Amino acid sequence: MLIQLAIRNVLAYRKHSVITFLLGAVSTALLVFSSAWNDGSHQQMIKNAVEIYSGYIQITGAEFRKSPSFEHLLFNVEKLQKDVEAVAGVDLFSPRFDSFVLYSVGEKAVGGMLTGIDPEKERRISRLYSSLKEGRYLSKTDTNQLYIGNELARRLKLQVGDELAFVGSGADYSFAADKLIVKGIFQTGLFEFDATSAFLAKPYFDMIMAAENLATHGIVLPHDTQQADIVAKNIGRKIGAEFQSASWMETMAPLVKSMKLDSVFGYITLGIIFIVIFFVIMIYTLLAVFARIREIGIMRAVGTTPRQILGILLLESSILGFISVVAGGLIGAVFAYYFNVHPMVFSGMEEQFKQYGLAVSAMPTAFEPFTILRDMLVMFVLLLLSTLYPIIKVNRYQPIEAMHHV
Amino acid sequence: MYSLALRMAWASLARRPARSFLVVLMICVSLWGLLLMQGIYDGMTEQMIANAIRSDSGQLSLFGRGYRLDPSLDKLIGGKETENTREKFRNLLDSDPRVRSWVKRLRQNGLVATAHYSRNTEIYGVDLDREDRHGRLKSYLVQGEYDFGNRSKGAIIGFKLAEKLQVKIGKKIILSAQDINSDVTSIALRITGIFKTNNLGLDENALFIDLERARTFLGVEQGVSQISIMLHDDQQLASLQQDLQHALPNLDVLRWDELYPALMQSRVMMKGFSLVISIMIFGVAGLGIFGVMLVSVLERMREFGIMLAIGTAFSQVRIIILAEALFMGLTGLLAGMVCGGLSLVYFKIYGLDLTMFSEAFEEFGMDAITYAIIRPDYFVTAFVAVVLATFVSVYFPLRLLRRAKPVEIINAV
Repeated sequence: MLIQLAIRNVLAYRKHSVITFLLGAVSTALLVFSSAWNDGSHQQMIKNAVEIYSGYIQITGAEFRKSPSFEHLLFNVEKLQKDVEAVAGVDLFSPRFDSFVLYSVGEKAVGGMLTGIDPEKERRISRLYSSLKEGRYLSKTDTNQLYIGNELARRLKLQVGDELAFVGSGADYSFAADKLIVKGIFQTGLFEFDATSAFLAKPYFDMIMAAENLATHGIVLPHDTQQADIVAKNIGRKIGAEFQSASWMETMAPLVKSMKLDSVFGYITLGIIFIVIFFVIMIYTLLAVFARIREIGIMRAVGTTPRQILGILLLESSILGFISVVAGGLIGAVFAYYFNVHPMVFSGMEEQFKQYGLAVSAMPTAFEPFTILRDMLVMFVLLLLSTLYPIIKVNRYQPIEAMHHV
Repeated sequence: MYSLALRMAWASLARRPARSFLVVLMICVSLWGLLLMQGIYDGMTEQMIANAIRSDSGQLSLFGRGYRLDPSLDKLIGGKETENTREKFRNLLDSDPRVRSWVKRLRQNGLVATAHYSRNTEIYGVDLDREDRHGRLKSYLVQGEYDFGNRSKGAIIGFKLAEKLQVKIGKKIILSAQDINSDVTSIALRITGIFKTNNLGLDENALFIDLERARTFLGVEQGVSQISIMLHDDQQLASLQQDLQHALPNLDVLRWDELYPALMQSRVMMKGFSLVISIMIFGVAGLGIFGVMLVSVLERMREFGIMLAIGTAFSQVRIIILAEALFMGLTGLLAGMVCGGLSLVYFKIYGLDLTMFSEAFEEFGMDAITYAIIRPDYFVTAFVAVVLATFVSVYFPLRLLRRAKPVEIINAV
């Protein structure tokens, strides 16, 4: 009977119902969409940062990340490779050797990174291959063929086929220098990376840098990228304490943290808007309840208990809250889904993305039903809470007082 | 006559204290939040801009023509001019009343190496005393001393570069670069200081050495790569840029926002963002006032009907209703401004300390402690918005009352 009464009341006080519904629905839609936008853009930024070059799991010598010197290299890469690839969940392992060198063309010299990679495996663990801009990608049998970042090539005024020299030090601290020929130019969109990086096929690199069977780090591609953390731990257990196996959550900790911080600011801003919305809902509920105070007084006078009245009013706001949360959730979800399929493009903001080392200007929203349900639940509770004060207040009146309330 | 109207307005508000209080509280809290948000977010953006200006670009920077696209030692400012021309040039900057200070920097790309590790770096030959007067460079020092030591054998480097090189104060480094004759030359230096500007480019790459040492190291007898200029007054930026470009046609004269377009974008975006949030907040708050005013008018239709019937002018009724709405609006506004203003003053003096997120802030190139900014226009906007919202919210109830016929209202049950 209470439910029937409540439904009837919701329908009878249509204006109040409509406004409460609209406010609730808009807030829910806003929250659902903001969460989707936050999560989606953050996932996208991290995914890009991880997939372009740094990889889901990095293996280094135990001390290497703290002090990246040639004393903490990965020694005996072949054995390590076998060990790592034997761990469940590992798709492949690819060693890299990083070194800083001075490139020179004619009279111009620029410092940069020279890295030896396995061209075939690199195709699958990073976006180097798909970032090809001009010329061709490396192959395993290449000798002094260089695959160079677009910005670095521009600074050295290099075209495909041009010659350059480099000076650096080999893995045994010996002096290393060679002439190289540009085979291909890549552009990942990460400005810093494109301005400092160039690659050689590892067999040849190993020869000139005395780096045979050595690597500064190795990248592991897990079968399921969502499981990177667990796989990284399993690898760590298998290969022992002389190595360190870290997932992107560790190697990219500052980025992950900064995304969290961005979310926090997003929610604070939303919070301020929601505070106002809840005040308005509270005010409207107060108005609606007091407009009915005589009715409530009469009900009390004919024997309805305060508890029942509380029940009816709470039911009313629950019904309204529920409908608006569902409607708002659906609207938010539709938008989240649409922009998940058709990512938003920010063509004017490349400079900003560049500065933060982000290579994207298209941002999909996340479409995660659980997050949407969570937001809807949060909103429902908040909506209910915001109607609580007026409902309790009106129940404090004595029946006679209420009936005569002007 | 106004005093009567005001008394009536006050009485009707006092009759429904809970309702009136809620509206005032709503306006107060939303304004408080909005002011805090604006002040803090603006503080963050402006701090980033200030860091870039102080540590690098100044408000204006001069470069040799084409230097920015191809930074090399043959595109220096005053590299080939006679002493006479350079004297004139110095006078031009020194005598301009708009210029507060200016500094010279000699820059070159190089390689910095420790026994174990090497990285590329941007070498800045600077005059420490002038830099400190110019952009308070000393305040960015986090370790060591603001000094290149005796015989200028010291180097001050960015903290991220120091992290990557794994060097501490007192450690020896080898710096290599191409000199003006394109020969590679090297010197040994000791780290005397580490700075943190939160200007990402500098923290990751920059290595400051003494300007005279840089000259001998790079074989550059005269000329510099960059001149950074600070102004007394931000407003004169465009005019100074124009005049300098006119006087020095073979140099590039660039404003900070041309050198750091991303920062300008942040500022513009922050403005747009604030505007959208403000509109949403005041829109919703207006809805709140509207609801209360509508009900307040509707439940007193009879009262107003009688007043009109016995000869009260409609304009007077309008004043009562308006006064009622304005009372609520302005009280809320005042309370919100006081709360928001006081909080902002607090955060302006003591700063909002988010050091627990400092790693994340570093990633964005922001300071972990944000000092709020207080701009008069926050308050002006808030005032206009609240007054506007109040007027709009009574418009509909008033129209309702105007259309109604006194006799009908009085007779209605």
